[in-house]
Amino acid sequence: MKKIKSILAILLLSGCVLSVSAQDTWPATDNSPMDMAYFPVDYPILKIRKQAPETPVVKVIYSRPTKKNRKVFGELVEYGTVWRLGANEATEIDFFKDVKIGNTKIKKGRYTLYAIPTQEKWTIILNKDNDVWGSFAYNQKNDILRTDINVQKITQPVEVFSMMFEKTNTGTNLLIAWEDVKVALPISF
Amino acid sequence: MHRMMYPQIKACISFAIACCIFLNSCHSDNKAVQLADTTAKTPPPIRYEPIAAVSSLDKSPMDVIYFPPEYPKLKMLDSIKTPPVFRIFYSRPQRSGRKIFGNVVKYGEHWRLGANEATEIEFFEDVYIQQTKIPAGRYILYCIPQPAEWTIVINKDLYSWGLKIDTNKDIFKFTVPTIKTEKPIEEFTIDATQSGAGADLWIGWDDTKIVLPVEIRNPKP
Repeated sequence: MKKIKSILAILLLSGCVLSVSAQDTWPATDNSPMDMAYFPVDYPILKIRKQAPETPVVKVIYSRPTKKNRKVFGELVEYGTVWRLGANEATEIDFFKDVKIGNTKIKKGRYTLYAIPTQEKWTIILNKDNDVWGSFAYNQKNDILRTDINVQKITQPVEVFSMMFEKTNTGTNLLIAWEDVKVALPISF
Repeated sequence: MHRMMYPQIKACISFAIACCIFLNSCHSDNKAVQLADTTAKTPPPIRYEPIAAVSSLDKSPMDVIYFPPEYPKLKMLDSIKTPPVFRIFYSRPQRSGRKIFGNVVKYGEHWRLGANEATEIEFFEDVYIQQTKIPAGRYILYCIPQPAEWTIVINKDLYSWGLKIDTNKDIFKFTVPTIKTEKPIEEFTIDATQSGAGADLWIGWDDTKIVLPVEIRNPKP
């Protein structure tokens, strides 16, 4: 791991050094492209229709790998290890007001979201170390919250890793789905 | 996410990415992104569908760039201790054989610099553009293109869909000359490279690109 990390370092840094000189080549779109979801759902569209509250409540920004006939949970995404909930940069969640997850008060601001999936439950982690790549440098010291949520089986498989919000009586659920499972993280405000 | 790469190191970077996949299941897929519909003039209908229904990729996928370039990777490698200077979220429509400027993107009209949601720029510290101080904070970025120059506008109407610009919330406007590209740029691209004074912000599509220098007056060690 250490060795691969230093190889990575050299390669990435040489890329940066080389790229300072000019804008000759342009980066291609990503294979696991980024996406975002708001609550209220589709806030930006509501906003230009003048149907939105003054600020959104929460926004999640994540990257979307595709299943492509692979076994995801237990193989591609290993059980029991910290996962960035997507691909590329770690998933980011931005709260525009103070909220509660379970009994924990979460202050307005942005955080990195990880999960430790197992067959029956996922541990959702909110961590205050932002602007990070993957879960390589994840440090439990910076956790704000760890909470367990139950895995639900879904009948219609989800090909592309997906997140969205749904309205609930107490606020919203962040729904996360891929392959044949779904989890719901309740957020109240 | 992807940075401009010189061909000779591209293979090396592919190897690095392969290592990432092996190490941490980053599972990028190879599905070709489909063509963008940048001609749509009305926002799409609001979706309230179950999660299975939204599980397809956007035709104009979102992307992020950081300055310093590759900031999240540098941070992962412990090569940088300071916060980033800025980052930009934008969506990336494709040219797909169309003439873009003066056609798909009209001269003299507001253009969201991408697709879908308005393009967002966040400065984590004060910077200077054309000698004007831009205070740290989040803004949206749009453009009024003309054949010879583009006006880049920094606006405070955050979290909006890019088709309707509230010009009352314009804060700064900067005009920069257009540059012809040697070969067409297929995917709309925003990028940032290091310069002597700080960063050069590049925006390019089809046969046109611009560069907006961003001055960083308190460079980090």
